[in-house]
Amino acid sequence: FTGAGGGNDIQWCFSQVKGAVDDDVAEADIISTVEFNHSGELLATGDKGGRVVIFQQEQENKTQSHSRGEYNVYSTFQSHEPEFDYLKSLEIEEKINKIRWLPQKNAAQFLLSTNDKTIKLWKISERDKRPEGYNLKEEDGRYRDPTTVTTLRVPVFRPMDLMVEASPRRIFANAHTYHINSISINSDYETYLSADDLRINLWHLEITDRSFNIVDIKPANMEELTEVITAAEFHPNSCSTFVYSSSKGTIRLCDMRASALCDRHSKLFEEPEDPSNRSFFSEIISSISDVKFSHSGRYMMTRDYLSVKIWDLNMENRPVETYQVHEYLRSKLCSLYENDCIFDKFECCWNGLDRQVHIVMTGSYNNFFRMFDRNTKRDITLEASRENNKPRTVLKPRKVCASGKRKKDEISVDSLDFNKKILHTAWHPKENIIAVATTNNLYIFQDKMN
Amino acid sequence: MLGKGGKRKFDEHEDGLEGKVVSPTDGPSKVSYTLQRQTIFNISLMKLYNHRPLTEPSLQKTVLINNMLRRIQEELKQEGSLRPMFVTASQPADPLSDNFREAQPAFSHLASQPLLPTDFVSTMPLESCLTPASLLEDDTFCTSPTVQHDGPTKPPPPALQLVKDSFSSALDEIEELCPAPTSAEAVAAETAADDSKAHPSESNIHKTEGLPESRTAESKLMDSLPGNFEITASTGFLTDLTLDDILFADIDTSMYDFDPCTSATGAASKMAPVSADELLKTLAPYSSQPVTPNQPFKMDLTELDHIMEVLVGS
Repeated sequence: FTGAGGGNDIQWCFSQVKGAVDDDVAEADIISTVEFNHSGELLATGDKGGRVVIFQQEQENKTQSHSRGEYNVYSTFQSHEPEFDYLKSLEIEEKINKIRWLPQKNAAQFLLSTNDKTIKLWKISERDKRPEGYNLKEEDGRYRDPTTVTTLRVPVFRPMDLMVEASPRRIFANAHTYHINSISINSDYETYLSADDLRINLWHLEITDRSFNIVDIKPANMEELTEVITAAEFHPNSCSTFVYSSSKGTIRLCDMRASALCDRHSKLFEEPEDPSNRSFFSEIISSISDVKFSHSGRYMMTRDYLSVKIWDLNMENRPVETYQVHEYLRSKLCSLYENDCIFDKFECCWNGLDRQVHIVMTGSYNNFFRMFDRNTKRDITLEASRENNKPRTVLKPRKVCASGKRKKDEISVDSLDFNKKILHTAWHPKENIIAVATTNNLYIFQDKMN
Repeated sequence: MLGKGGKRKFDEHEDGLEGKVVSPTDGPSKVSYTLQRQTIFNISLMKLYNHRPLTEPSLQKTVLINNMLRRIQEELKQEGSLRPMFVTASQPADPLSDNFREAQPAFSHLASQPLLPTDFVSTMPLESCLTPASLLEDDTFCTSPTVQHDGPTKPPPPALQLVKDSFSSALDEIEELCPAPTSAEAVAAETAADDSKAHPSESNIHKTEGLPESRTAESKLMDSLPGNFEITASTGFLTDLTLDDILFADIDTSMYDFDPCTSATGAASKMAPVSADELLKTLAPYSSQPVTPNQPFKMDLTELDHIMEVLVGS
């Protein structure tokens, strides 16, 4: 990996782990999304129980130059509650599918969090002062007897212990018949899109009672349905451009200026199938689980079951780079279909804004996660496990043995734990700090600083 | 001087159903290909109907499983369109019995044609469909009408013999027995009828008994599915299935019989759990033991384990 100093690989060290230690995982604690805010100071996680936990990075201590600030809990709140859809007699899960931060405009922080049906705008604000010295009230709030008031005074603000409050400022509900899989804030910072299996809606952050439908792929006859929307994202710079991916491995780029309903794409990105790799499962493994634009907006990255692909927006017929995440699973697809693992939705992410570094990261099974260096074409497999939790010790690369004789320290495919999956990873926007979510724990790794 | 021989290694990662898709061109591997396909088919069906009912099932997952089932069905239909040639010959007409023996090798020749799983368009050269001339006597060649779902139209081999009269009368019989279908069922019925005209086989006569039962099952199924999705894709599929070729002749349709919906909450309580045993019943035709359909299928626990191992490839 090319580090900022040039020529040095990034060496990842364990920094922190958050979450319960015991192996018995409470379902509500399963982490379902991880996201840094725009400055990287805050790190939010959402879980299956509908809670959002925000961690804040400590300010760097000048004396402790060998490590960056630690992340500590800043705020915890219940974002979504389970609901019951009486019309269909079905529960609506409170699981947080996605969190997206708004860029900071004032002292408060804002984020959007969504479950399957409802998006909420949360305001997270700090309170570290409170007014004291009221004339008519005691300090504990009881009213004073007016006859005892003999002088007047002006209440003043006095410092208090920091309190972080989260309050829902907007609730964007009742616009999605199907399950919301993505939200993406536009570069105008005024609008955002939300995508479900068949439709994409455009919202204004201030307006909750209506949204515009900009993509609708629902067929007139549901029996003809063969393809669904799996992810969508706005272009980072062009506020009229967005992409959405499908379960058939295609990505469509749409321009909202072309028409009100963007059912006709401006560009269609699709790689022709490799005939030598055809199987019963070709379609399922081609389904795209995540799409992310690069910071420049010139490239986009997609994740399907076995690979990560980088696309140049100017070239529709094939990706410019393809990285195999766990090719050794190709011969196990039947079992993975049977145990449903083939439907796991892995996310992917780009590294932060360090111009020297061009790395993409994604998760795998057995609590492994993978990084691909686009410059050197080298890749590395690392493990998120409490066994490696000595700070400042460089993580040891892992290797999976696909077939044949297993070397020492290698793990054979058959001993992989498919219940330990890393679906969500995030990279600090500015520094080489990464957050990796296992089932119910959040690991933070950083590069070894000299 | 002995020639240098490479030592063959047993690749333990490619036993059973795993490993690359076996091309149906290789003789004994065709069986494992068929077995793999049948297993995937059964797993897919179980996934569709054994979902916990509390929350809505994932639409993406449902669509992908549906597509898998449709693809397999298309493939089976293609293969099924070859079979009637030897199946109809086995009907009780003595002059045909000689031809039956002739037709059989013709069929196995056809069976060895490459049929890649995702190769939907039939590349079967028509001249390879050898047919004893006597079979063509009462022939009414038909072209397959456009099938209602995604599969492309495939020209059937000219050897396809339509037993149209007996079949269409069977179809009439079915319609008399069934209650008036809802619109979705009507669509599905149309699809099924089209398919049947394209692919008649002796199994259709066999099927007419099974059919009313499964049609009623289908209407029950539609009630019991979570009302949300408007996806009747899976139920439509089920109707296609029952009118399919002889590969499904032995399926005990009681697997798909669901208790009528009695409450508004969810569907799992009404789903007949598909146990491993029932799954194995459907695989019975492929086992070495001859099994009569609809008889209780008894098996050793060890044999059961062995088959399950083969199925999950572990």
